[in-house]
Amino acid sequence: MTNLFIGLFLSTLITALLTTRLYRLFLWYGLNSIFLGLAALEQYKLLDDKALLISALLTLLLKGLLLPYLFKLFALKFHTERNIPPKIRLQYAILLIPAILVFTFYLINPILHLPGKNYISLSIASLFLSLVLIIEHKAIFAKVIGFLMMENALFLLGMTATEGMPMLIELGIFFDLLMAVVVINLLFEVEHA
Amino acid sequence: MLEYLFLPLSLIFVLSFFDVQKSKKYLPIISSLVLVPTFMLLFTPDRHYWHDRLMIDDLNKFVLLVCAIVGIAVTLALESLRHHVKISPRHYRRFYRFFALFWIGMILSVTANSMGIFWVGLELATLSTVYMIKTNTTPFAHKEAWNYMIVGTIAISLILFGIILIYASAKPSLGEEAMLFTALKSHISRIHSAYLFEIGFAFVAVGSFIKMGFFPMNLWLANIERAAYYPVAALFSGLLESAIVTGLFRFSSLAKELNQSHLIGFTYIYALLTLFVVAFLIYRVKDFMRLFSLSGIEHMVLMLIFWVSGGYFAALLHFAAHAFLKPALFISTGVLESRGKYHIAGALKGYKGFKGRLFQILVALFMLAIISLPPSPMFFSELFGFSAMIDLAKGSHHLLLMLFGILTILILLSIIFYKFVDVYQTMRYEGEERSKRVYASEVGALVLLALATLALLGSFDFIEKIGG
Repeated sequence: MTNLFIGLFLSTLITALLTTRLYRLFLWYGLNSIFLGLAALEQYKLLDDKALLISALLTLLLKGLLLPYLFKLFALKFHTERNIPPKIRLQYAILLIPAILVFTFYLINPILHLPGKNYISLSIASLFLSLVLIIEHKAIFAKVIGFLMMENALFLLGMTATEGMPMLIELGIFFDLLMAVVVINLLFEVEHA
Repeated sequence: MLEYLFLPLSLIFVLSFFDVQKSKKYLPIISSLVLVPTFMLLFTPDRHYWHDRLMIDDLNKFVLLVCAIVGIAVTLALESLRHHVKISPRHYRRFYRFFALFWIGMILSVTANSMGIFWVGLELATLSTVYMIKTNTTPFAHKEAWNYMIVGTIAISLILFGIILIYASAKPSLGEEAMLFTALKSHISRIHSAYLFEIGFAFVAVGSFIKMGFFPMNLWLANIERAAYYPVAALFSGLLESAIVTGLFRFSSLAKELNQSHLIGFTYIYALLTLFVVAFLIYRVKDFMRLFSLSGIEHMVLMLIFWVSGGYFAALLHFAAHAFLKPALFISTGVLESRGKYHIAGALKGYKGFKGRLFQILVALFMLAIISLPPSPMFFSELFGFSAMIDLAKGSHHLLLMLFGILTILILLSIIFYKFVDVYQTMRYEGEERSKRVYASEVGALVLLALATLALLGSFDFIEKIGG
């Protein structure tokens, strides 16, 4: 099941890269986080690590439901443009995405003996794809979603490659994420004041 | 003792919610209180706190002292900020609030033994900086605050990604202790997958390089420092970059133990590319802020290559000298740009009275010290640093290639040297003389930083002990 959820996690990220509508992007981010949270729950069952359970639930609730909802509220409040065409054309994007995936699998070639090697390469690929998402959009909201998807890639790596990071660090990351969202909101407030 | 470091900063944070016009005279005194625990830590043996997650060793004692001096100088200079720029009392309060948070984040990341805490501190400092940039209410500053938010968080995320990979590489043999710098250092040979560690280090390094404005992100930091009020630039160069460099020193020491040749190759190529771009950007620069900002990148490059080449003393001396000189120059820009940002000609003319003359002399000395003219501490650090690089080249299998690299660095540095001398002469001998006003608080800040720079010349033994 973990493989399935991680596969779906990656597919939502790729779809987000190709989307041209803002609310759809929030939806793909929410789904991306939900699949990540479900994968974390599967890992919890496998490892019986309580910290992973807390992180999985926080991911499902905060990133999967609350943040997309908050972002939609912000977008409505600030009358944000909903059409967000990416700067990279579709034909180039569909060449770039597999190239990134192949490159990251090539990158982990020397560590093929390690457990979770595929997850490491998928996490690095997700990180690069999120960077592409940030680069290819001019709209601030799309950039912010790219940054949050990058956080998801980090969580995927932490969960699969290390079998769970220390709880304190994970909570620190969640705290920082929330603070980042507060800062983003306040920056929007100032922009529209 | 470590916890006392946070007390004065928490007090500044609390005071920032009240009428800062009344309390701002006390703020430099409150920030000076940081020196008490910092000095006491200097004379206490190395210690670990909070289940080994924080630590006090020779390196971070030194960095904390440097940062405390810079922090106090910036608090002093903040007193006269409203004379040079238009700032409302509300934004003034906000600046102090996020300045205190920024400093707390910086202390956390400098004293961190856990890589995770190092990252959390850095993130706290990064997010609080967004608000300090936003105290300037111009559209340009607003745009740059967004840029900082996006690029800064990308850099921070890359660092975290690298930390997770490093943790993953060592966890099978060290367990949860793989998060600690000290555990990694003492059991480096037991690391399960050196390749994974190296990928992790590359991510940490690239994230840190982006934060410091290395290739290919050379201009983003300069633009942000241009957009923000000048004390933000002083804090960047004195505190934030110190925290990042300290972290990078620790990570590179680990990477060096694993595979020195990979580390040297990676760092030298990156450093050369950065220096190549920066030297020409400096050559074309037209305002003080960008000049000092780009020169900051040049010095970060030098510190890093001195450190990875084994010139620990040179790197630490260069680090401290830069941490004092660059904030001093950034604080001076408030006065130097009083006639507009592109008026370099005659910028060092028109200062009357004792304060004015002192300001003029100090800025002239800082300008000459930053290009490593003797007896600047930077002259000695570059002397020892380049010696370390040549020693490394002599012992390597790529002698000619490394000597060519060193020669290229020297040529690029000479372009920067020429530009600074040209700017200094334009400031001193060209342009019209117009009366300018200097305030006691900023002169006080410059005197403090000048004394600290002079004290470095007498602290070689102390710094050498840390490097050793």
